[in-house]
Amino acid sequence: MIYGAGALLDAGVLAPMRHQLGRTLLAAVAIALGIALGLSIYLINRAAADEISLAARSLYGLADLAVVATSQDFDETLYPRIARTRGVAIASPKLELEAKLAGRSGAITLLGVDPFRYRELQPAFANAATGSMPFSRTLLDTKTVLLSASAARELELGEGDELRVQVGLKPVGFKVAGVLPAQTLGDRVALIDIATAQWVFDRLGRLSSVDVRLASGVSTSEVRDDLLALAPNRIRVTTPGEATDDALRLSRSYRANLTALALVALFTGGFFVYSTQALAVLRRRREFAILHALGVTRQQQLGFVLAGSGLLGLCGSALGIVLGVLLARFGALGSDIGAGYFAGESVQAQIRVAEVLAFCALGVFVAFAGATRPAIEAARVPTAAALKASDITSGELQSRPWMIALSLALSAGVLFVPPIAGLPLPGYASIALLLIATVAATPWLVKGALRSLPQRPVPPYEVALAELSGTARYAALSVSAIVVSFSLMVAMAIMVTSFRGSLDAWTQRILPADLYVRVGGVGQSAHLDERAAHALGAIPGVARIETSRFARASLDPNRPALVLSARSFDRDELDDALWITRQSVRRAPLGTSPVWLSEAASDLFGIHPGEIVELGIEGETLRAFVQGIWRDYEHQNGAVVISRDDYVRLTGDRALNALWLWLDPNSSLADVRERIRGTLPPDAAVDLRAPGELRQMSLAVFDRTFAITYILELVAVVIGLFGIASGISAQVLARRGELGALRHLGFTRGQIASMLAIEGAVLGTAGVLIGLASGAIVSLILIYVVNRQSFHWSMDLHVPGALLALLSLVLVASSALIAVWSGRRAMTGDVVRAVKEDW
Amino acid sequence: MLNGVSLELRAGEYVAIMGDSGTGKSTLLNLIAGLDAPDSGRIVFEGQDLALLDDNRRTRLRRARMGFVFQAFHLLPHLSVVRNVALPLALNGVRGPTARARVEAMLASVGLADRAHSAPSELSGGEMQRVALARALVHRPTLVLADEPTGNLDADSAREVLELLRAQLKRDGAAGILVTHSRAAARTADVIYVLDECGLHVAPDERMQA
Repeated sequence: MIYGAGALLDAGVLAPMRHQLGRTLLAAVAIALGIALGLSIYLINRAAADEISLAARSLYGLADLAVVATSQDFDETLYPRIARTRGVAIASPKLELEAKLAGRSGAITLLGVDPFRYRELQPAFANAATGSMPFSRTLLDTKTVLLSASAARELELGEGDELRVQVGLKPVGFKVAGVLPAQTLGDRVALIDIATAQWVFDRLGRLSSVDVRLASGVSTSEVRDDLLALAPNRIRVTTPGEATDDALRLSRSYRANLTALALVALFTGGFFVYSTQALAVLRRRREFAILHALGVTRQQQLGFVLAGSGLLGLCGSALGIVLGVLLARFGALGSDIGAGYFAGESVQAQIRVAEVLAFCALGVFVAFAGATRPAIEAARVPTAAALKASDITSGELQSRPWMIALSLALSAGVLFVPPIAGLPLPGYASIALLLIATVAATPWLVKGALRSLPQRPVPPYEVALAELSGTARYAALSVSAIVVSFSLMVAMAIMVTSFRGSLDAWTQRILPADLYVRVGGVGQSAHLDERAAHALGAIPGVARIETSRFARASLDPNRPALVLSARSFDRDELDDALWITRQSVRRAPLGTSPVWLSEAASDLFGIHPGEIVELGIEGETLRAFVQGIWRDYEHQNGAVVISRDDYVRLTGDRALNALWLWLDPNSSLADVRERIRGTLPPDAAVDLRAPGELRQMSLAVFDRTFAITYILELVAVVIGLFGIASGISAQVLARRGELGALRHLGFTRGQIASMLAIEGAVLGTAGVLIGLASGAIVSLILIYVVNRQSFHWSMDLHVPGALLALLSLVLVASSALIAVWSGRRAMTGDVVRAVKEDW
Repeated sequence: MLNGVSLELRAGEYVAIMGDSGTGKSTLLNLIAGLDAPDSGRIVFEGQDLALLDDNRRTRLRRARMGFVFQAFHLLPHLSVVRNVALPLALNGVRGPTARARVEAMLASVGLADRAHSAPSELSGGEMQRVALARALVHRPTLVLADEPTGNLDADSAREVLELLRAQLKRDGAAGILVTHSRAAARTADVIYVLDECGLHVAPDERMQA
């Protein structure tokens, strides 16, 4: 390297990096953490999305179109009309049911099919057989099912075993006739004969969809309208691609926000590169001047800094990619990042070459972006002055007011831009601009802060202050290194605490009763009948009982259905059991029924209190008056509450899914619980819980889902500490000569240590205060804009005061300690020589 | 503030410039090296007017044809002695065995062959300045600019460095400008100039000796 072509590279890039190995490694690690988080989230996302698409696609087989019920199902008389529609070659009817598993938790999708129609659309199914018996014949036996490969694996069932599900409160067993080949159905599904399904699950004459294969040469658009015209409000016609999109859309906001969080980590890494490179350039001013005097051109100097950063970015990315793949594959992250959206097994994250290159490029780009300004500064170092100047750390302290004002104005302005493609991109842009403004304003804020500190005739304090003011530029850079990461940490802490606090308050509000009984969910086979409910209400100790039935309701046949909850409550009591955020003062006009929409439903469909809408329920239409909007953290795609009377009148369905039980004041919860268990059939799968337990459960789910943000917060703290350590230690090391001179003047070691501690603490405090302020604003954007736009959840502000105070203290104390420690390291050498030393 | 300065230097000529602090001796060197630009007047080096060249061309000219020695040595702290000396060759595209031979010869001629792999911080002041001298001469410049090269050295080291500088200049036939406060140092040059507010002129009492 001494005489080879690499000598220049070595002198300008590698040697300085080696010399500052610790700092270089820290900057690479900062980028690696960002890339690792980003990549692992991306891989998990991709695996989940692939799985969702495959599952959605496999349901269709060779079908070109599907006619799907807008609510739960439609009358089967529609089927022959679909089959006779011009252009339709094959029509395969389906009845899809969610069957509650008996004797264990969870549910399975039962797909009732006509085996002879079905096999024409599913070649893999047509060819599969058990022994000499083709699968299509085995289904003709009543009470047999075929399991998909993943259902068989997860339920640990095989041919000849029994699949037990719960219908109402009664268990029903099916014989497993065989396991389908993996390529037939991607999901957790059991196939059953459609007639059996209709009979067993009490859905005679009902279908949930009809898959359609078109005659050759017929295009989907030709047939689509004809099909839709058969029953305009009860069906919608989709293609396999649209179904996949719908399935993916459910989790899209969640995934987009995770990606944004990963980018935040990367952004922090980029700022870290900026501050380390800016400090390095300041420190290397004289070195750059020497190189220029020796004949290194300005472009070469620019190249040196950029090459150094590029190398840093490359090393960071490489490390990050390895970490990211490991995190995605083995980390605890996988199961929790899914947040319940993905039923899939562990992530088989296979990373492709193109993805490796893309993430490397991202890391290098971030490193370049962080280094550009320092690099330009390096190329501008005035050679003659820098060669001569004895104080290389001083320099102009600049904040550009127009840049700060512009960033702030833009940051506020983009908040008024509506979400793009349903994603809160303007909110994130606003946050980025706010952070840029904060960093740009940091020198100015630090300068003001230093000026406002009182003068005290204590030598260490006086010298510390003079030193900080004299090297204000260094000081500002050290501070800005922690400002970004601390802001983000503060913002995330406030956001998560607000969300958690609101969720906690919400669960308490919506759970006013003493005990809850739940049997089955939306569209599931398990339910209670009215007699059972009456029996429970008559149990000694139970004072009052209210009920709810879950179903689906549609506001727009072409969009995903809402979850419907039909409740027995009086209209006024609903206020107790729902968290109403807005309501109409008017009563529902004659001929309409009052309904209460969740915030998500109101946002997604743009419907407000006082409006009258048509609600499609089980093929019937309810003229509904929107009485109020309620806060709902449960159903991201919207929910609606209607009265049980309206529901029963409309559908005739008298089944129940949930009971609220209020107890006599002097009865014991445990006794009543015991009696309820005794009243229900022994093997019925019934959820019986007190509000406290439900609250614990929902908070546990919350904590698991948000574990990723805690990891990010930790990363932000670590990067913040790196930033402080790197800034302060560099500054102290650069001042060895001065520290030696102070010793010569009679400063004790203790005085020097307290001087450095004061400097570190002042810098740390400045960073913490600026970070707290900008972090608080970022948290408001997250809570009131980003969350609202992506999840349609409103929440109340809860500030984790104790946590923030503790973190602030830790950062300030660590800055002081790092300064003292760096000073001790700087002083261990020969102090006299340090005075003589020239650099 | 430099006024009325006119100096013509031929190949192989070695001059010293003396003057009080603040008269602009270093500025004059920076102007000659193309690191600063004059408000008026011309600097012509090997037939080229420096003002007509952009920073890159001036930098390349300086890299190839000039050598610099500073009062504060200005060695690159992260590079060993041998790497510091090899740097100008790398910048000028001289590589491989040729470069190696030249660097070794250069280090031998300043008497530091045995310190080749030391870090600058391990050297004494005199040794550091000899490394700087080697670095200024290794690419055989036609002009060497030395700005107070003995300002930070004791008398013995100073004499050693000055003798080396002169010997190397004469051997290579290069021109040299030595800026110094020290009369003794100045005497090692062929001609001594004085820079003051009136401009640059040959020192009256030294003319005889020269």
